[in-house]
Amino acid sequence: MTEKTNENFILQTYNLTVIRNGKRLLDGINLSIRQGSLTMLLGHNGAGKSVLLRTLHGLLSASSGHIKAPPAKHQKIVFQKPILLRRSARKHFRFVCPDCLDHKAESWFAHANLQAQMDTHTHQLSGGEQQKLALIGALASQPSLLFLDEPTSHLDYESTTAIEQMILEAHANGTTIIMTSHNRAQAERMGEHVLFINAGQLVESQPAADFFQKPVSPIADNFLNHL
Amino acid sequence: MDPLKLALIMLLALDPELMGIISLSLIVSFTAVGAALLVGLPIGALLSSYHFPGRWAIITLSNTFLGMPPVVVGLFIYVLISRAGPFGWLGILYTSYAMMLAQFVLVLPISIALSRQVFETLNNEYTPLFLSLRTSKMNRVIVLISEARVALITIALACFGRAISEVGAVMIVGGNIRHSTRVMTTAIGLETSRGELAKALALGAVLLAIALSVNIASQTIRSKFERNVVSD
Repeated sequence: MTEKTNENFILQTYNLTVIRNGKRLLDGINLSIRQGSLTMLLGHNGAGKSVLLRTLHGLLSASSGHIKAPPAKHQKIVFQKPILLRRSARKHFRFVCPDCLDHKAESWFAHANLQAQMDTHTHQLSGGEQQKLALIGALASQPSLLFLDEPTSHLDYESTTAIEQMILEAHANGTTIIMTSHNRAQAERMGEHVLFINAGQLVESQPAADFFQKPVSPIADNFLNHL
Repeated sequence: MDPLKLALIMLLALDPELMGIISLSLIVSFTAVGAALLVGLPIGALLSSYHFPGRWAIITLSNTFLGMPPVVVGLFIYVLISRAGPFGWLGILYTSYAMMLAQFVLVLPISIALSRQVFETLNNEYTPLFLSLRTSKMNRVIVLISEARVALITIALACFGRAISEVGAVMIVGGNIRHSTRVMTTAIGLETSRGELAKALALGAVLLAIALSVNIASQTIRSKFERNVVSD
Protein backbone atom coordinates (compact mmCIF):
# COMPACT_ATOMS: atom_id res chain seq x y z
CA MET A 1 0.00 0.00 0.00
CA THR A 2 1.51 3.31 -1.07
CA GLU A 3 0.51 6.80 -0.04
CA LYS A 4 1.36 9.98 -1.86
CA THR A 5 4.05 12.32 -0.58
CA ASN A 6 2.55 15.32 1.15
CA GLU A 7 4.14 18.16 3.07
CA ASN A 8 1.71 17.57 5.96
CA PHE A 9 3.29 14.20 6.58
CA ILE A 10 5.90 14.21 9.34
CA LEU A 11 7.05 10.66 8.63
CA GLN A 12 7.09 8.61 5.47
CA THR A 13 8.64 5.31 4.52
CA TYR A 14 9.32 3.96 1.07
CA ASN A 15 9.54 0.22 0.61
CA LEU A 16 11.03 -0.17 4.07
CA THR A 17 12.44 -3.66 4.54
CA VAL A 18 14.29 -5.18 7.48
CA ILE A 19 15.89 -8.60 7.11
CA ARG A 20 17.64 -10.33 9.99
CA ASN A 21 19.13 -13.81 9.81
CA GLY A 22 17.42 -14.36 6.47
CA LYS A 23 13.98 -13.51 7.89
CA ARG A 24 11.95 -10.57 6.58
CA LEU A 25 10.86 -8.77 9.73
CA LEU A 26 9.51 -5.84 7.73
CA ASP A 27 8.60 -6.31 4.13
CA GLY A 28 8.26 -3.30 1.84
CA ILE A 29 6.45 -0.97 4.21
CA ASN A 30 5.12 2.24 2.65
CA LEU A 31 3.41 4.50 5.12
CA SER A 32 2.75 8.15 5.78
CA ILE A 33 2.06 9.71 9.16
CA ARG A 34 0.26 13.01 9.24
CA GLN A 35 1.71 15.79 11.38
CA GLY A 36 0.00 16.02 14.77
CA SER A 37 -1.84 12.71 14.42
CA LEU A 38 -2.16 9.91 16.94
CA THR A 39 -1.66 6.65 15.13
CA MET A 40 -2.22 3.23 16.65
CA LEU A 41 0.02 0.50 15.30
CA LEU A 42 -1.80 -2.80 15.64
CA GLY A 43 -1.01 -6.40 14.82
CA HIS A 44 -0.53 -9.84 16.28
CA ASN A 45 2.43 -10.70 18.47
CA GLY A 46 5.48 -11.02 16.23
CA ALA A 47 3.82 -9.09 13.40
CA GLY A 48 6.67 -6.56 13.45
CA LYS A 49 5.19 -3.65 15.41
CA SER A 50 8.15 -3.12 17.73
CA VAL A 51 10.61 -3.71 14.89
CA LEU A 52 8.81 -1.07 12.84
CA LEU A 53 8.82 1.45 15.72
CA ARG A 54 12.50 0.85 16.42
CA THR A 55 13.41 1.08 12.75
CA LEU A 56 11.46 4.30 12.32
CA HIS A 57 13.26 5.75 15.35
CA GLY A 58 16.65 4.63 14.05
CA LEU A 59 17.41 1.98 16.65
CA LEU A 60 17.46 -0.70 13.95
CA SER A 61 18.92 -0.22 10.52
CA ALA A 62 16.81 -0.93 7.46
CA SER A 63 18.02 -3.54 4.99
CA SER A 64 16.51 -1.54 2.15
CA GLY A 65 14.06 1.26 1.59
CA HIS A 66 14.00 4.79 2.84
CA ILE A 67 12.66 6.72 5.82
CA LYS A 68 11.83 10.42 5.68
CA ALA A 69 11.59 11.63 9.28
CA PRO A 70 12.41 14.61 11.48
CA PRO A 71 15.97 14.82 12.84
CA ALA A 72 16.81 12.38 15.63
CA LYS A 73 16.77 15.10 18.31
CA HIS A 74 13.10 15.79 17.54
CA GLN A 75 12.10 12.16 18.06
CA LYS A 76 11.70 10.22 21.28
CA ILE A 77 10.66 6.68 22.19
CA VAL A 78 9.16 5.11 25.30
CA PHE A 79 9.60 1.38 25.68
CA GLN A 80 7.17 -1.19 27.02
CA LYS A 81 9.58 -1.85 29.88
CA PRO A 82 11.00 1.54 30.81
CA ILE A 83 14.78 1.77 30.64
CA LEU A 84 15.86 3.73 33.70
CA LEU A 85 19.31 4.39 35.06
CA ARG A 86 20.09 3.10 38.54
CA ARG A 87 19.95 6.45 40.28
CA SER A 88 17.36 8.85 41.65
CA ALA A 89 14.41 9.79 39.42
CA ARG A 90 15.69 13.38 39.34
CA LYS A 91 19.16 12.30 38.14
CA HIS A 92 17.70 9.95 35.54
CA PHE A 93 15.54 12.79 34.24
CA ARG A 94 18.60 15.05 34.07
CA PHE A 95 20.39 12.39 31.99
CA VAL A 96 17.60 12.01 29.45
CA CYS A 97 16.95 15.75 29.30
CA PRO A 98 20.33 17.41 29.94
CA ASP A 99 19.04 20.80 28.78
CA CYS A 100 16.19 20.82 31.30
CA LEU A 101 16.72 23.27 34.12
CA ASP A 102 15.71 22.36 37.67
CA HIS A 103 12.45 24.32 37.63
CA LYS A 104 11.49 22.69 34.33
CA ALA A 105 12.24 19.26 35.76
CA GLU A 106 10.11 20.02 38.80
CA SER A 107 7.27 21.16 36.62
CA TRP A 108 7.40 17.90 34.61
CA PHE A 109 7.47 15.82 37.79
CA ALA A 110 4.47 17.80 39.03
CA HIS A 111 2.73 17.19 35.71
CA ALA A 112 3.16 13.45 36.26
CA ASN A 113 2.28 13.74 39.95
CA LEU A 114 5.74 12.45 40.84
CA GLN A 115 7.04 15.37 42.92
CA ALA A 116 7.32 13.20 46.02
CA GLN A 117 9.37 10.63 44.10
CA MET A 118 12.01 12.97 42.64
CA ASP A 119 14.71 11.70 44.95
CA THR A 120 13.55 8.09 45.02
CA HIS A 121 15.75 5.46 43.38
CA THR A 122 14.24 4.59 40.00
CA HIS A 123 14.13 0.89 40.86
CA GLN A 124 12.07 1.64 43.94
CA LEU A 125 9.31 3.29 41.90
CA SER A 126 6.17 1.34 41.04
CA GLY A 127 5.65 0.16 37.46
CA GLY A 128 3.26 3.02 36.76
CA GLU A 129 5.64 5.60 38.26
CA GLN A 130 8.54 4.21 36.24
CA GLN A 131 6.55 4.50 33.03
CA LYS A 132 5.44 8.03 33.91
CA LEU A 133 9.09 8.95 34.52
CA ALA A 134 10.07 7.49 31.15
CA LEU A 135 7.23 9.41 29.50
CA ILE A 136 8.04 12.81 31.01
CA GLY A 137 11.71 12.17 30.17
CA ALA A 138 10.68 11.76 26.54
CA LEU A 139 8.21 14.65 26.52
CA ALA A 140 10.46 17.15 28.31
CA SER A 141 12.50 17.87 25.21
CA GLN A 142 9.23 18.55 23.35
CA PRO A 143 9.72 16.07 20.51
CA SER A 144 7.73 16.54 17.34
CA LEU A 145 7.46 12.76 16.97
CA LEU A 146 6.93 10.32 19.83
CA PHE A 147 7.00 6.53 19.55
CA LEU A 148 5.27 4.56 22.30
CA ASP A 149 5.81 0.81 22.41
CA GLU A 150 2.91 -0.61 24.46
CA PRO A 151 3.43 1.97 27.20
CA THR A 152 0.59 0.75 29.41
CA SER A 153 0.87 -3.02 29.17
CA HIS A 154 1.24 -4.63 32.62
CA LEU A 155 0.00 -1.45 34.32
CA ASP A 156 -3.07 -1.21 36.53
CA TYR A 157 -6.16 0.79 35.60
CA GLU A 158 -5.16 3.89 37.54
CA SER A 159 -1.67 4.09 36.04
CA THR A 160 -3.01 3.32 32.57
CA THR A 161 -5.53 6.15 32.83
CA ALA A 162 -2.87 8.60 34.04
CA ILE A 163 -0.48 7.66 31.25
CA GLU A 164 -3.21 7.84 28.60
CA GLN A 165 -4.09 11.30 29.88
CA MET A 166 -0.48 12.45 29.56
CA ILE A 167 -0.26 11.02 26.04
CA LEU A 168 -3.47 12.76 25.00
CA GLU A 169 -2.21 16.05 26.44
CA ALA A 170 1.04 15.72 24.48
CA HIS A 171 -1.01 15.00 21.38
CA ALA A 172 -3.21 18.03 22.06
CA ASN A 173 -0.03 20.12 22.27
CA GLY A 174 0.91 19.06 18.75
CA THR A 175 3.18 16.06 19.24
CA THR A 176 2.73 13.40 16.59
CA ILE A 177 2.35 10.04 18.28
CA ILE A 178 2.71 6.50 16.99
CA MET A 179 1.74 3.94 19.58
CA THR A 180 1.42 0.16 19.70
CA SER A 181 -1.18 -1.50 21.88
CA HIS A 182 -2.81 -4.85 22.46
CA ASN A 183 -5.80 -3.26 24.12
CA ARG A 184 -8.68 -2.76 21.68
CA ALA A 185 -10.58 -0.42 23.98
CA GLN A 186 -7.49 1.73 24.39
CA ALA A 187 -6.81 1.75 20.65
CA GLU A 188 -10.41 2.79 19.93
CA ARG A 189 -10.36 5.36 22.71
CA MET A 190 -7.12 7.04 21.69
CA GLY A 191 -6.37 6.37 18.05
CA GLU A 192 -7.21 8.70 15.19
CA HIS A 193 -5.61 6.51 12.60
CA VAL A 194 -4.71 2.83 12.52
CA LEU A 195 -1.89 1.00 10.85
CA PHE A 196 -2.41 -2.75 10.85
CA ILE A 197 0.57 -4.92 10.09
CA ASN A 198 0.83 -8.64 9.67
CA ALA A 199 3.96 -10.74 9.07
CA GLY A 200 6.00 -7.59 8.51
CA GLN A 201 3.64 -6.18 5.88
CA LEU A 202 1.39 -3.15 6.17
CA VAL A 203 -2.06 -4.58 5.56
CA GLU A 204 -4.28 -1.60 6.39
CA SER A 205 -3.89 2.12 6.94
CA GLN A 206 -7.13 3.96 7.61
CA PRO A 207 -8.98 6.18 10.08
CA ALA A 208 -9.51 4.43 13.41
CA ALA A 209 -13.31 4.65 13.27
CA ASP A 210 -13.38 2.96 9.86
CA PHE A 211 -10.89 0.31 10.87
CA PHE A 212 -12.75 -0.70 14.00
CA GLN A 213 -16.17 -0.60 12.30
CA LYS A 214 -15.27 -2.39 9.14
CA PRO A 215 -11.73 -3.55 8.50
CA VAL A 216 -10.99 -4.19 4.86
CA SER A 217 -8.87 -7.30 5.14
CA PRO A 218 -10.11 -10.62 6.55
CA ILE A 219 -6.94 -10.93 8.63
CA ALA A 220 -7.62 -7.58 10.34
CA ASP A 221 -11.23 -8.61 10.88
CA ASN A 222 -10.05 -11.84 12.46
CA PHE A 223 -7.54 -9.89 14.57
CA LEU A 224 -10.23 -7.56 15.91
CA ASN A 225 -12.50 -10.45 16.76
CA HIS A 226 -9.78 -11.90 18.98
CA LEU A 227 -8.50 -8.65 20.47
CA MET B 1 56.37 -19.33 75.15
CA ASP B 2 53.42 -20.67 73.21
CA PRO B 3 53.71 -19.28 69.62
CA LEU B 4 50.03 -18.27 69.66
CA LYS B 5 50.46 -16.21 72.85
CA LEU B 6 53.64 -14.67 71.46
CA ALA B 7 51.86 -13.78 68.22
CA LEU B 8 49.09 -12.09 70.18
CA ILE B 9 51.62 -10.11 72.26
CA MET B 10 53.43 -8.97 69.10
CA LEU B 11 50.18 -7.79 67.57
CA LEU B 12 49.00 -6.00 70.69
CA ALA B 13 52.41 -4.38 71.15
CA LEU B 14 52.30 -3.18 67.54
CA ASP B 15 55.70 -4.71 66.88
CA PRO B 16 57.47 -2.19 64.56
CA GLU B 17 58.81 -4.77 62.12
CA LEU B 18 55.43 -6.45 61.95
CA MET B 19 53.69 -3.13 61.35
CA GLY B 20 56.24 -2.27 58.65
CA ILE B 21 55.53 -5.52 56.85
CA ILE B 22 51.75 -5.03 57.13
CA SER B 23 51.85 -1.44 55.91
CA LEU B 24 54.12 -2.30 52.96
CA SER B 25 51.77 -5.15 52.01
CA LEU B 26 48.80 -2.80 52.06
CA ILE B 27 50.59 -0.05 50.11
CA VAL B 28 51.80 -2.46 47.41
CA SER B 29 48.41 -4.15 47.02
CA PHE B 30 46.32 -0.95 47.14
CA THR B 31 48.56 0.68 44.51
CA ALA B 32 48.53 -2.37 42.24
CA VAL B 33 44.75 -2.79 42.53
CA GLY B 34 44.11 0.93 42.03
CA ALA B 35 46.21 0.97 38.87
CA ALA B 36 44.62 -2.26 37.60
CA LEU B 37 41.12 -0.83 38.08
CA LEU B 38 42.09 2.45 36.45
CA VAL B 39 43.29 0.59 33.37
CA GLY B 40 40.99 -2.45 33.47
CA LEU B 41 37.58 -0.88 33.96
CA PRO B 42 37.63 1.36 30.87
CA ILE B 43 38.97 -1.59 28.86
CA GLY B 44 36.15 -3.78 30.22
CA ALA B 45 33.61 -1.08 29.34
CA LEU B 46 35.00 -0.70 25.82
CA LEU B 47 35.11 -4.47 25.24
CA SER B 48 31.48 -4.77 26.30
CA SER B 49 30.28 -1.86 24.18
CA TYR B 50 32.21 -1.91 20.94
CA HIS B 51 33.36 -4.40 18.37
CA PHE B 52 36.74 -3.48 16.98
CA PRO B 53 39.66 -5.36 15.44
CA GLY B 54 41.60 -7.19 18.13
CA ARG B 55 38.66 -7.28 20.56
CA TRP B 56 38.59 -11.06 20.75
CA ALA B 57 42.36 -11.17 21.09
CA ILE B 58 42.17 -8.93 24.16
CA ILE B 59 39.31 -10.97 25.63
CA THR B 60 41.12 -14.26 25.02
CA LEU B 61 44.36 -12.86 26.44
CA SER B 62 42.70 -11.48 29.58
CA ASN B 63 40.78 -14.72 30.13
CA THR B 64 44.00 -16.73 29.69
CA PHE B 65 45.81 -14.55 32.21
CA LEU B 66 43.01 -15.13 34.71
CA GLY B 67 44.38 -18.59 35.39
CA MET B 68 48.05 -17.68 35.10
CA PRO B 69 50.11 -19.03 38.05
CA PRO B 70 51.60 -16.11 40.01
CA VAL B 71 55.11 -17.56 39.87
CA VAL B 72 54.96 -17.52 36.08
CA VAL B 73 53.87 -13.88 36.18
CA GLY B 74 56.74 -13.21 38.61
CA LEU B 75 59.18 -14.95 36.31
CA PHE B 76 57.88 -13.01 33.31
CA ILE B 77 58.25 -9.67 35.12
CA TYR B 78 61.68 -10.74 36.42
CA VAL B 79 62.92 -11.41 32.89
CA LEU B 80 61.65 -8.04 31.74
CA ILE B 81 63.09 -5.92 34.56
CA SER B 82 66.26 -7.81 35.41
CA ARG B 83 69.48 -5.98 34.58
CA ALA B 84 69.82 -7.83 31.25
CA GLY B 85 66.11 -7.50 30.40
CA PRO B 86 64.55 -4.93 28.07
CA PHE B 87 63.42 -2.81 31.02
CA GLY B 88 66.49 -3.38 33.17
CA TRP B 89 67.37 0.31 32.86
CA LEU B 90 64.43 1.10 35.15
CA GLY B 91 66.36 -0.43 38.04
CA ILE B 92 63.23 -1.55 39.87
CA LEU B 93 64.09 -5.23 40.45
CA TYR B 94 63.90 -6.08 44.17
CA THR B 95 61.96 -2.94 44.95
CA SER B 96 58.35 -2.43 45.99
CA TYR B 97 57.70 -1.01 42.50
CA ALA B 98 58.48 -4.39 40.98
CA MET B 99 56.06 -6.01 43.43
CA MET B 100 53.37 -3.50 42.52
CA LEU B 101 53.99 -4.25 38.85
CA ALA B 102 53.71 -8.01 39.44
CA GLN B 103 50.46 -7.65 41.36
CA PHE B 104 49.16 -5.22 38.74
CA VAL B 105 49.76 -7.81 36.01
CA LEU B 106 48.09 -10.46 38.16
CA VAL B 107 44.89 -8.53 38.90
CA LEU B 108 44.50 -6.60 35.64
CA PRO B 109 42.91 -9.61 33.85
CA ILE B 110 40.47 -10.00 36.76
CA SER B 111 39.39 -6.37 36.55
CA ILE B 112 39.00 -6.59 32.77
CA ALA B 113 37.13 -9.92 32.67
CA LEU B 114 34.76 -9.25 35.57
CA SER B 115 34.02 -5.65 34.59
CA ARG B 116 33.38 -6.73 30.98
CA GLN B 117 30.69 -9.12 32.23
CA VAL B 118 29.09 -6.45 34.40
CA PHE B 119 29.23 -3.85 31.63
CA GLU B 120 27.91 -6.28 29.03
CA THR B 121 24.77 -6.92 31.10
CA LEU B 122 24.24 -3.19 31.64
CA ASN B 123 25.06 -2.33 28.06
CA ASN B 124 22.48 -4.79 26.73
CA GLU B 125 19.91 -3.15 28.98
CA TYR B 126 20.83 0.45 28.16
CA THR B 127 21.73 0.23 24.47
CA PRO B 128 18.23 1.21 23.23
CA LEU B 129 18.27 4.22 25.57
CA PHE B 130 21.78 5.24 24.50
CA LEU B 131 20.87 4.88 20.84
CA SER B 132 17.65 6.81 21.29
CA LEU B 133 19.41 9.66 23.09
CA ARG B 134 22.37 9.49 20.68
CA THR B 135 24.70 9.25 23.68
CA SER B 136 28.36 9.69 22.71
CA LYS B 137 30.80 6.79 23.12
CA MET B 138 32.65 8.57 25.90
CA ASN B 139 29.43 9.32 27.78
CA ARG B 140 28.32 5.71 27.43
CA VAL B 141 31.51 4.51 29.14
CA ILE B 142 31.11 7.11 31.90
CA VAL B 143 27.45 6.15 32.47
CA LEU B 144 28.26 2.42 32.43
CA ILE B 145 31.00 2.88 35.03
CA SER B 146 28.70 5.02 37.15
CA GLU B 147 25.81 2.54 36.86
CA ALA B 148 28.03 -0.41 37.70
CA ARG B 149 29.64 1.26 40.71
CA VAL B 150 28.40 -1.20 43.30
CA ALA B 151 29.38 -4.23 41.26
CA LEU B 152 32.72 -2.59 40.55
CA ILE B 153 33.42 -2.21 44.26
CA THR B 154 32.93 -5.96 44.57
CA ILE B 155 35.37 -6.44 41.67
CA ALA B 156 37.86 -4.14 43.39
CA LEU B 157 37.59 -6.20 46.56
CA ALA B 158 38.09 -9.43 44.59
CA CYS B 159 41.21 -7.92 43.00
CA PHE B 160 42.49 -6.79 46.38
CA GLY B 161 41.93 -10.24 47.87
CA ARG B 162 43.93 -11.80 45.06
CA ALA B 163 46.75 -9.24 45.31
CA ILE B 164 47.24 -9.21 49.08
CA SER B 165 47.32 -13.00 49.34
CA GLU B 166 49.76 -13.53 46.48
CA VAL B 167 53.20 -14.86 47.32
CA GLY B 168 55.02 -16.37 44.31
CA ALA B 169 55.34 -13.32 42.07
CA VAL B 170 56.32 -10.81 44.77
CA MET B 171 58.88 -13.25 46.13
CA ILE B 172 60.58 -13.49 42.73
CA VAL B 173 60.60 -9.79 41.83
CA GLY B 174 60.77 -8.37 45.35
CA GLY B 175 63.31 -10.71 46.83
CA ASN B 176 61.75 -10.68 50.31
CA ILE B 177 64.36 -8.21 51.59
CA ARG B 178 63.96 -7.24 55.26
CA HIS B 179 62.74 -3.66 55.82
CA SER B 180 62.50 -3.18 52.07
CA THR B 181 60.38 -5.67 50.12
CA ARG B 182 59.15 -8.06 52.78
CA VAL B 183 55.38 -8.36 52.71
CA MET B 184 53.03 -10.50 54.79
CA THR B 185 52.92 -13.54 52.50
CA THR B 186 56.65 -13.71 51.88
CA ALA B 187 57.35 -13.08 55.56
CA ILE B 188 55.02 -15.90 56.60
CA GLY B 189 56.87 -18.28 54.28
CA LEU B 190 60.26 -17.20 55.59
CA GLU B 191 59.37 -17.18 59.28
CA THR B 192 57.73 -20.61 59.03
CA SER B 193 60.82 -22.07 57.37
CA ARG B 194 62.98 -20.51 60.11
CA GLY B 195 60.75 -21.93 62.83
CA GLU B 196 59.65 -18.44 63.98
CA LEU B 197 56.06 -19.51 64.26
CA ALA B 198 54.92 -16.61 66.46
CA LYS B 199 55.69 -14.00 63.82
CA ALA B 200 54.26 -16.21 61.05
CA LEU B 201 51.07 -16.75 63.06
CA ALA B 202 50.71 -13.06 63.86
CA LEU B 203 51.04 -12.16 60.18
CA GLY B 204 48.74 -15.03 59.24
CA ALA B 205 46.11 -13.68 61.65
CA VAL B 206 46.34 -10.21 60.10
CA LEU B 207 46.10 -11.66 56.59
CA LEU B 208 43.10 -13.70 57.63
CA ALA B 209 41.49 -10.61 59.21
CA ILE B 210 42.02 -8.66 56.00
CA ALA B 211 40.53 -11.49 53.92
CA LEU B 212 37.57 -11.64 56.28
CA SER B 213 37.07 -7.88 56.13
CA VAL B 214 37.17 -7.94 52.34
CA ASN B 215 34.60 -10.73 52.29
CA ILE B 216 32.28 -8.96 54.76
CA ALA B 217 32.58 -5.68 52.84
CA SER B 218 31.81 -7.47 49.58
CA GLN B 219 28.75 -9.24 51.04
CA THR B 220 27.46 -6.05 52.64
CA ILE B 221 27.73 -4.05 49.44
CA ARG B 222 26.17 -6.86 47.42
CA SER B 223 23.20 -7.21 49.75
CA LYS B 224 22.66 -3.44 49.67
CA PHE B 225 22.81 -3.56 45.90
CA GLU B 226 20.29 -6.39 45.73
CA ARG B 227 17.89 -4.45 47.92
CA ASN B 228 18.38 -1.40 45.68
CA VAL B 229 18.92 0.86 48.63
CA VAL B 230 22.18 2.31 47.43
CA SER B 231 21.53 5.88 46.52
CA ASP B 232 23.83 8.34 44.82
